[in-house]
Amino acid sequence: MTNIPLWLIPLFPLLGTIILGAIAVTSSGNKKGAPENLIGALAVILPAISFACVTVLAVNMPASGFRETICNWIDIPLLKVNIGFQFDALSRIMLLFVTGIGTLITLYSIGYMHGDRGFTRFFAYINLFLFSMIVLVLSDNLLLTFLGWEGVGLCSYLLIGFWNKDLKNCKAANKAFIVNRVGDIGFLLGMLSLVTLGGAGVLNYDMLNHFISMLIAGGHVELIMPMLTITCVLFFVGCTGKSAQIPLLTWLPDAMAGPTPVSALIHAATMVTSGVYLVARLSNLFVICPDVLNIILVVGALTAFWAAFAGLFQNDIKKVLAYSTISQLGYMFMAAGASAFDASIFHVFTHAFFKASLFLGAGAVIHALGGEQDMRNMGGLIKKTPVTACVMIFAFLAIIGFPGFAGFWSKDLILERIFTDCNWVITGSWLAPVVPMNKIFYVVGLFTAVITAVYMGRLIIMTFFGSYRGSKENEAHIHEAPAVMLIPMIVLTFGSIFAGYLWADYMGVRVFADSLAPVLAAAQSFDPARSLNPDILLSEFIPRAAEHVNPIIFAALGTLAAVVGMFIAWKGWMHAHIPAAKGSSAPEGYAAGWTFMWDYVHGFFVKVVNVAAWICEKVVDAFLQAFQWTLGSIATILGDGATVFQVRKVRLQLGLSILGIVALVVVVLLTGGLV
Amino acid sequence: MELQPIFIQILALALFAIGILVAITRRNIIFVLMGVELALNAVNLSFVGFAKTLPAELSVAGQIVPLFSIAIAAAEACVGFAMVILIFRNRESIDADSYSNMRG
Repeated sequence: MTNIPLWLIPLFPLLGTIILGAIAVTSSGNKKGAPENLIGALAVILPAISFACVTVLAVNMPASGFRETICNWIDIPLLKVNIGFQFDALSRIMLLFVTGIGTLITLYSIGYMHGDRGFTRFFAYINLFLFSMIVLVLSDNLLLTFLGWEGVGLCSYLLIGFWNKDLKNCKAANKAFIVNRVGDIGFLLGMLSLVTLGGAGVLNYDMLNHFISMLIAGGHVELIMPMLTITCVLFFVGCTGKSAQIPLLTWLPDAMAGPTPVSALIHAATMVTSGVYLVARLSNLFVICPDVLNIILVVGALTAFWAAFAGLFQNDIKKVLAYSTISQLGYMFMAAGASAFDASIFHVFTHAFFKASLFLGAGAVIHALGGEQDMRNMGGLIKKTPVTACVMIFAFLAIIGFPGFAGFWSKDLILERIFTDCNWVITGSWLAPVVPMNKIFYVVGLFTAVITAVYMGRLIIMTFFGSYRGSKENEAHIHEAPAVMLIPMIVLTFGSIFAGYLWADYMGVRVFADSLAPVLAAAQSFDPARSLNPDILLSEFIPRAAEHVNPIIFAALGTLAAVVGMFIAWKGWMHAHIPAAKGSSAPEGYAAGWTFMWDYVHGFFVKVVNVAAWICEKVVDAFLQAFQWTLGSIATILGDGATVFQVRKVRLQLGLSILGIVALVVVVLLTGGLV
Repeated sequence: MELQPIFIQILALALFAIGILVAITRRNIIFVLMGVELALNAVNLSFVGFAKTLPAELSVAGQIVPLFSIAIAAAEACVGFAMVILIFRNRESIDADSYSNMRG
């Protein structure tokens, strides 16, 4: 069987980047710009070809996957890295929705960006993003993944600051880039310490898994446990930056400054989930450091809860969705922390559909209202834009976990797996002799699900129900989005309704879990309480018991959470009087305190760094300059003295220099060299 | 008496010494350049002489390097004479000792 070479998948978006970039540069001079139909067709067709390649490969893939090495990249004694691709079960899922949803959102952007001056530039960036994202998930080693990781960060920066006439957008882009940089340092140092542990080849995923199984088989895990823990923590720092977890999450709400399709593609569906992908990819490494998994669990739970709460206070429709994305990412990390990696990837998958639908719906609303983003100026839009309203209501039912919709299957699965798979206990605390953490995290997750339903319900009610609160002249212009925008929205809505049936546990469908099993099963069955010496761990674990809880209870509780949340939202906002917005849409008062909590924390660190920089400039730099100046002066004085010996006679100088060489040779010969 | 390699080296040394001596003692700048060329060719001779001590297949390197240095020397002589002509136009003299206005 001949197969499509793997390098074709990233090649098409790269071609798109080059072609569109060239067109953007050459047509930047003329006023009309390149023809939009041609540019749009190019920008959609190339990712669509990639998607077709991925689909063909996905159907033909054997259980072990495809591997392909293109060429040697770095070959030095410390480091051996190939440019190689790996198409296995995990990359397959990621690639399918990255290229599939990427194509749909590109199609949507043709309508959304219509008439924009930077039309071609926008699609060049989108294609570059898809290329980087494909490299990220397709690569077979950490360094190439890092290349894609940086590439998507760059595209995120370029697209957040896409409308760079506005200083606010540029600042948001800078913030996203710089905060991500902090996380990237974690990723880099993680790779460094991994190489320190395992040697030159260990950056390759297969080699890494082999190395870890050797460690476990040889019983050497205890020896390198501290280093291993540091490595995992560093990788997780990288993930917190990219996936907007505490403490590196402040950039994502600001990233909403970019065009809405960008928010849908990069800041909801694909790029921000690459942290979850990395944890799943390195699952074999993370499970032998259960302490780090506990950190992930705590961070995920705190992030999910905090962001859901902050989402309640937002007036900007896109900000609500941004906080909701952070919260859902928190769920994914909770699942990963409970070593339920397949559940977290499943939530990544379903979340991509419903959050992309929500963002595209929000984009259609903003488009209809001519750029208005403040929900206090919306209302009653269900009559004006019924299709958009239906899309967003279906996606809303999916995100709150209403039975039958995609989010129901994945979110309930996460909560259930946190309950059954997490076996972290805290003993000897004042509360109880043994505190089972799984129950605590389950309750936090469930409570967050209630808040999710409340803030999403608030968004739907404020946008689509009640009466229109905006200005009169705007009202006349409200129109449904064009078909090129509606089609992707409708396709994604079907995804957000039916994607969950790939793993409908209650119906006995486990297609998704079985397809991921070759990559993740080994890590998930690893039981720290049985396989690791408890003395080397900081936290305590009990052996994983086959404690059987009827799954219907989880489903019922999850449904109850969604219904309670919807009820609260209905009670709170359906008939409430919402004052029209004046000025900024930023939250005020206690809401601002909660929303910008982590900005204040960041501000503190920025101040510390500023003080350090001031000390460096005024003290260290001055000292160094004085030192330099002293040395320089001494050299000048000596040089001035030495010029006295210059005789200004060519022949004499030649003779003297030859004499010097002779003297040197004589000395070397007599002393036998400088050995 | 057969040609010993050491003879070639002695000849090269003698040529080199003459070249340097000319370069230092002559005041005529043309002669200085000639002296430098002579010293350079002495080194080439030395290369070839050493190449002769090696077996035939290894001696190639020693014979090729002089070819390169002859080419370089030709280029260097061009530059040298061009400079001499320019300085002569400037100063109306080819006496090396008159070129003494180099500032330290």
